[in-house]
Amino acid sequence: MNDTRRTRSVLGVLIVAALVLITVDYRGGENSPLRGLRDVGAAVFGPVERASAAVVRPVGNTFDAITDAPDQRRRAEKLERENQRLREQIRAGAIDAGRARQLDRLLGTAGIGGYKIVAAQVISAGQGFEDTVTLDVGSSSGVRRDMTVMSADGLVGRVTRVGPATATVLLATDAASSVGARLEDTKEIGIVTGRGRRGLGDGGGTPMKFQLLNANATLKVGQRLVTLGSQGDSPYVPGVPIGVVERIDRPEGGLSRTAYVRPFARFTSLDVVAVVVAPPKSDPRDAVLPPRPAPPPSPSPSVSPSPHKKTVKAKRKREG
Amino acid sequence: MLNAPEPTPAGRHLTAALVLVVALVLQVSVANRLPLPGAVTPDLVLLTVVALALVNGSLTGVVVGFCAGLAADIIPPADHTIGRYALVYCIIGYVCGMASAEMDRKSVVPFLAVAVGALAGTTVYALTGALLGDPRASWTIVARMVPLQVFYDVVASPFVVWAVLRVTRRYERADRASRDRFALPAAKYRAMSGRGTGL
Repeated sequence: MNDTRRTRSVLGVLIVAALVLITVDYRGGENSPLRGLRDVGAAVFGPVERASAAVVRPVGNTFDAITDAPDQRRRAEKLERENQRLREQIRAGAIDAGRARQLDRLLGTAGIGGYKIVAAQVISAGQGFEDTVTLDVGSSSGVRRDMTVMSADGLVGRVTRVGPATATVLLATDAASSVGARLEDTKEIGIVTGRGRRGLGDGGGTPMKFQLLNANATLKVGQRLVTLGSQGDSPYVPGVPIGVVERIDRPEGGLSRTAYVRPFARFTSLDVVAVVVAPPKSDPRDAVLPPRPAPPPSPSPSVSPSPHKKTVKAKRKREG
Repeated sequence: MLNAPEPTPAGRHLTAALVLVVALVLQVSVANRLPLPGAVTPDLVLLTVVALALVNGSLTGVVVGFCAGLAADIIPPADHTIGRYALVYCIIGYVCGMASAEMDRKSVVPFLAVAVGALAGTTVYALTGALLGDPRASWTIVARMVPLQVFYDVVASPFVVWAVLRVTRRYERADRASRDRFALPAAKYRAMSGRGTGL
């Protein structure tokens, strides 16, 4: 038998060592004395991961292309339709002075409230229950802890650890992540928390949930969320789009309602993202949100109450 | 390569370390990014630990498991308490190493070891998370993740175990040059496990 006394004593020693490591690291928290060990890990494995990412990228892309093929076709069709609609919108916009002013304002605010960013690429992803990724930028590119990370579509997460050439990002879908959020067009604020590894908790389409602080505020399906912005713009800068309220749970007799949020960013295929290295000079409010798509000519019956959309549109027109 | 080198312990340790590093890097940069249904990915590091333990016995399993776990705790995207994977893989290396003696009798043992290892690994990892108050180790997440994790690990195990055997085999050939090189996998497992007692 292999189970000799020596083996057992080695097992005992190593288990004790592991338990000591866990205890020391857990009690230390952010200032854990084992932080140096992580730095060593980042310094050693970071370059290896970068090299490996460069090699395996074509492989991953092929795999993505295969699994996404039906999805891409659907997307292409959708984009074609959208293209058509946008072309019509532009034609209509030439005569619609109100809409033209809105576009102007959009461009203006994007210019004023622009984020200063560093573009980065995702090179590896976390294991087990955690939803984390590594980026190929580090302290040498000006990336620091607690910076916001966003993609072209919306919020991705925040930087939790920085190595010389790599940075670890805690995704907004991680169960340990919570983000201050604001409902569009209102001042109602709440907290968006992740539901575990890419929505594994239950339901892949809505990997985040949102809880309003004010129990009496109106909350509707289809409302969109932006980041509220943290104290000193760290870790979250204001105005980054988060997602759309997809479903609302109303527990009987409960005071708090939970809304399930479909994110704008595509967390399953993150590739090129941006780290916000300098916050905007002023809160961009809802300006970064994409313009609300015009309702299709024959609206399909949906859960979303249409009067709400009309009021929003009316309000916008009045503002415009 | 064709002339197998003398099986020195240093060479064997180096090979094991190399295999682990490759498994770790493939895990974070390839496996974890695969858009697999259920958002769970096979745990290549666990499979490597299981394979090395099955081939070399408990003592190697324990040491290899601890080192692999510690590396998995500090490799960049990791964001959990240091030592959790070290504890889990260390225990798995020990348990699967004990099964290496059983490999003489049944060829299904590797698959069983992988299944048990994956189940125990995910459960113990979740348990340590629950003890430390990790919000990620909530019941809804764990309950959905464990069956999928075991399934993916078992599906991926033949490839990983084959690759690990392939790399470590050069030392075996020197040990048993007379043995048929093209033996069936089951016979190969047996040949491998025979040496585990020597450690």
